[in-house]
Amino acid sequence: MQTAEPGNGEFAGEGPSASDLDRLKELLVGEELGALDAMQARIAHLDRKQHELPARLPDAIEDAQVGEGSARMAQALAQPVTQALGAAVRENRQIIVDVLFPVIGPAIRKAIAEALRNLVADLNGAIESSLSVRGMRWRIEAWRTGVPYAQIVLKHTLTYRIDHVFLIERESGLVLDRQSAPGLEELDADAIAGMLTAIGEFVHDSVGRGGGNTLDSARVGEHVLWVLQGPRANLACFIHGVPPTGLHAVLEQRLEEIHTHLGDVGDGGGIDDAWRNSLRPDQLARAASEAEAESPRRTATARWPLLLIMLAVLGLLTWFFVRNERWNANVEALRARLSAHPGFLLTGIDERGRDALIVRGLLDPDAQPLDVSAGSTVPVQLSAAGYVSTDDAVIARRAHRLLAAPPSVQVVVRDGVLGLDGRADASWIEAAHEHAAWIAGVRDVRIAVTPSVDEAALARERFDALVKSIPLLRVTFVRDLEPVAGVEATVDQVARDAREAAELAKGIGKRIEWIAVGTNDDPGSASINARLRGDRARWLAEALSARGVANVRSAGDAEFDVAAIRQRGAFLRAALREAQP
Amino acid sequence: MSAAARKLCMLGDFGVGKTSLVSRFVRSTFSEKYLTTVGVKVDSKEIALPGRAPCKLVIWDIAGRSHLDALNMTYLRGASALLLVADGTRERSLHSALNLLMQSRSLLPDAVVVVAVNKIDLVEQWEVAPTALVELRRTLPVFETSARTGEGVEAAFAEIATRLAA
Repeated sequence: MQTAEPGNGEFAGEGPSASDLDRLKELLVGEELGALDAMQARIAHLDRKQHELPARLPDAIEDAQVGEGSARMAQALAQPVTQALGAAVRENRQIIVDVLFPVIGPAIRKAIAEALRNLVADLNGAIESSLSVRGMRWRIEAWRTGVPYAQIVLKHTLTYRIDHVFLIERESGLVLDRQSAPGLEELDADAIAGMLTAIGEFVHDSVGRGGGNTLDSARVGEHVLWVLQGPRANLACFIHGVPPTGLHAVLEQRLEEIHTHLGDVGDGGGIDDAWRNSLRPDQLARAASEAEAESPRRTATARWPLLLIMLAVLGLLTWFFVRNERWNANVEALRARLSAHPGFLLTGIDERGRDALIVRGLLDPDAQPLDVSAGSTVPVQLSAAGYVSTDDAVIARRAHRLLAAPPSVQVVVRDGVLGLDGRADASWIEAAHEHAAWIAGVRDVRIAVTPSVDEAALARERFDALVKSIPLLRVTFVRDLEPVAGVEATVDQVARDAREAAELAKGIGKRIEWIAVGTNDDPGSASINARLRGDRARWLAEALSARGVANVRSAGDAEFDVAAIRQRGAFLRAALREAQP
Repeated sequence: MSAAARKLCMLGDFGVGKTSLVSRFVRSTFSEKYLTTVGVKVDSKEIALPGRAPCKLVIWDIAGRSHLDALNMTYLRGASALLLVADGTRERSLHSALNLLMQSRSLLPDAVVVVAVNKIDLVEQWEVAPTALVELRRTLPVFETSARTGEGVEAAFAEIATRLAA
């Protein structure tokens, strides 16, 4: 309590007594002193309440939660609590991380597991759509065993081995525990753990400064290193091969569980045997396998799409096979036909898809016309160059063309030997002798063509001779119409000659009419003789008609002057006219 | 159960012989190239102590420099012991070692500290005065060592192991 004291300059000599001063002060500032005492008492009271505040604060907060005070309390604390939390995170980050680690770890793991499950589902969808032989084999195995396809794929593709597991104290880099697969070479675990920690710090300091980035994994060839970070300890796992994602989750779980027990372990004391066993490679692999097996199985792969696909593929293959066989048969038939065609040398058949064919080859101009499209179901195009064939048939056609052989000449080629046979003009024969040997492909020539005669002239000559000789064949009678003995032979001769002459007349453009003429000797009256000439002419006409001579009539009495012929007989003569065209 | 492992950090100026001392003491697992890349090389060795359980020293050979940067400080974390190495032929290296000790004290207040003044085989060239060593021995255990001959090396590491096991 402050008291009013006299200044060094006041009351410098013998001063008043203390009671006097008190009385004087009371007179001067008595009212203020009273107010001052009251304020001091209030301050003392407030001091006491402030000292009691920590003890009363929990009760006061609880009281404030009742009724409407709850919302007001939350509103009042919102700002300071936010600021306090922010300051705590900035200044004591490690404590916050340590506190939240058991909570954040499972949450993150769950989120990652869900994301991975979706990823695997997508991957499964992609793999399921593949039609590789291996994929089909795995799909059949999944179908046969009822195991999801994705699991079969994982089983066949993910082979790994956990070589070493290090539980490393995060701060010092010392090994808290180390487990290795049997049969591996002994190694300096402390040195490796130390270097791993140092490299992790180096990486963090070099590239992850200012963030929570750490060395989480590394890969060298087929070896994978996983480093799982914990607040107090890290778990390093050296793996050979491709580990399943479930293993990482198992390691995270192990690390979290170990952290809950690390508080009971002294520095450098490691962990107890139970947790040590849980880090053994075989235990971890088993746990990872169980985790994979316990993951929710997908609905078994529907079988009907596979059956449908297989049927479709089978049908497609059958159709393709049949179509291919039919196509090949057509091509082979075309090839055989073209190869057998004289004068065409087939060099190839090009296929333009299954829509058209292009036949390539060499074609002799003297060959028979080639119809490449005959019998084909698709358009066939011919692409041919010229050449000279030595095929006998083509040589024969060539010889026929070059020699201009008349129809009476037969052209035959056998083994390259040209044979000419028949009749032809002497001039043609001479030209054939001159040119035949020069025909391409002809190895030798055999010409047996005889010079031809003028058939028409011969016929005309023979006709004229017959026309002249027939009247000279006389049928004689003993009397009236009684023929002499042996007259039948004469009549037959006349009939033969008449028929031949009639036949020859057709070839020389003549039209012939036969006229039977009767004759008589001197005795008798003229009328009787005329009647006898007529009767004898009719007798001969009838006899010739009976023997197949056409166009015969008996001559009238006045048609011919037969007075000079004094003979009881009859003869035949021809009346000729030019045939009508 | 295997020996308890304790972390020992080697501190000292460049060229004082830290790596040589470690090489003399252990058969290294890792190449020295890590000193120039990562800045540290880690080895370990188990030391038998008479009448006591063996002690395994995990030795962090930190690249030599006269002051500690942030990365070196992270390397020091969790260390139970420090071996300060100085070159007897360079008095300044002893000052650097003591300076490094002062810097590391904030991070490792309770660490066991031993001083190795190296290159005793070149004692005729020493700049470090014997009186200075006498003065230093009043506060810290000091060993005169030679990585070349091996003199004092085992003793220095054994002293650390003994103090750690105490």
